[in-house]
Amino acid sequence: MKTYKHFTAEESKAEVKEYVDRAAMGLYSTRVAPTFRRGISIKNRWLRSIVTFLMVFGPGLIVMEADNDAGAVSTYVQAGAQYGTHLLWILLLLLPICYFIQEMVVRLGIATGQGHAAMIYQRFGKFWGLFSYIDLQVVNFLTIVTEFAAISLAFSKMGVSPLIAVPTAAVGLILMAVTGSYRRWERVTIFLCLLDITWLILTLKVQPMIGEALSNTFIPKMPPGGLTTDLVFIIIAIVGTTIAPWQLFFQQSTIADKRLRFKDLKWSRLDTFLGACFTILIAGCMMLVGNAGTIHGIKFEDPAQLAVALAPFEGHFLRNAMLLLMVNAAVLGTTAISLSSAWAYGEVFGKTHSLEMPFRKAKGFYGFYALCILAAAAVVLIPGAPLQLIILGVQVLAGIILPSAIIFLQLLLNDKELLGEFANKRWNNVVNWSIIAVLFMLSLALAAQVILPNLFS
Amino acid sequence: MTPSRTNSYANELDEYLVIHPLDDEPELKKDPSKLGPLKLTPTVRISLFMLRGYLILMTVMLLYHLLDIAGVFRR
Repeated sequence: MKTYKHFTAEESKAEVKEYVDRAAMGLYSTRVAPTFRRGISIKNRWLRSIVTFLMVFGPGLIVMEADNDAGAVSTYVQAGAQYGTHLLWILLLLLPICYFIQEMVVRLGIATGQGHAAMIYQRFGKFWGLFSYIDLQVVNFLTIVTEFAAISLAFSKMGVSPLIAVPTAAVGLILMAVTGSYRRWERVTIFLCLLDITWLILTLKVQPMIGEALSNTFIPKMPPGGLTTDLVFIIIAIVGTTIAPWQLFFQQSTIADKRLRFKDLKWSRLDTFLGACFTILIAGCMMLVGNAGTIHGIKFEDPAQLAVALAPFEGHFLRNAMLLLMVNAAVLGTTAISLSSAWAYGEVFGKTHSLEMPFRKAKGFYGFYALCILAAAAVVLIPGAPLQLIILGVQVLAGIILPSAIIFLQLLLNDKELLGEFANKRWNNVVNWSIIAVLFMLSLALAAQVILPNLFS
Repeated sequence: MTPSRTNSYANELDEYLVIHPLDDEPELKKDPSKLGPLKLTPTVRISLFMLRGYLILMTVMLLYHLLDIAGVFRR
């Protein structure tokens, strides 16, 4: 890398003075002068592109990988245990769906520099603004409770009391965000996302039939037993796990907080696409690890049980890694979901809402974030708390509100008055309305199954 | 250094400069607050009205179902 000039605060005073003098004379373009922008100059085009991408990179990966949260680990592992490699093709099908939905969020975020909750409030009025806001907060809170339930479960299997593990995790999660630096939070979160590469190592360790897995990924096949009610609902669960309402709010707010520019659009799209690929890859690995349980004849109800039961066959590394990955998934889910709640709160009630702000300047925002985490942790620690009921409720409620949340997104993206050249093209609309129609059908089927359980029997 | 030479030097710098979005000057974005509520066609308005009914109904049914499972109505 040839760096021939740095305009940073660390430059020598003389150099800065010379630059200011030139700028004052109007010798520089106004895009550079008169303010100093911290940056690096790179002559090599490829290297410049890579560095630019790395600066934009983050929101796309985080929003996708944080969706592989504790609930997702449970669903994918269960799907792998029940159907082996036969449902891998669904994940491949979900890859473009995830991308197309989040790509709309990217355009909206970059074009307006505002969060999703604010956008619904301003463009659809008070009723829809509040309705979306309350729905989001309820689903988010219940989801965070399930994340802490997973933390409690995983640490219990490692011999750590939930009374120590849950509060420690809660405090750690709060400290992670309350630093007054978006970049610090983003770097830590990206690191946690990349830790999920360990799922690949676990997959190689349990040695599934890679050829069969690849074949079932690219060639859709019906699992043995044909189309049953169980199969339909595991498919609904996979779809519901892979696409969640909080993701729309989270990524748009992240893009607004990171102040992504119009010129960052292509890099942000790439970030989102790579995030979607990474997430789907890891989800596939989770299915294959779940399949290993069935290969060894293990019956389990949650991934923590599977991790413990696999230890005699695959060693203690696999057991500990799986339990820690469960915790990691829950931590990622919690920080992303709590932040989406806190950003929405700030946007709707006009409070300062930015990770770039120190605590004293955004007490409402950080306070709401901390409140979500502490309240959810407290619920998990209540003896006899109805966690199964909460898990059921969160899955169905998320399923009910997801299609409508995407409808608002779709309507906003057709708002040419607001978005101009960033608005949806005709092909965008065809793709997105098709996605919405499928999600609506799945949502109706899920709601019907839960609310009227005898309907399909 | 002549102004023209300096300008080309500046443009060259600008072209090669890679700046983190948080260190860059804020951009003027499209502001929805100036536009007011979205103008909806009657079809979209009716669809949203139906969606509102669907969401309220489903939420109430779900709540009832969860309370039923929790045994609230059996006491």
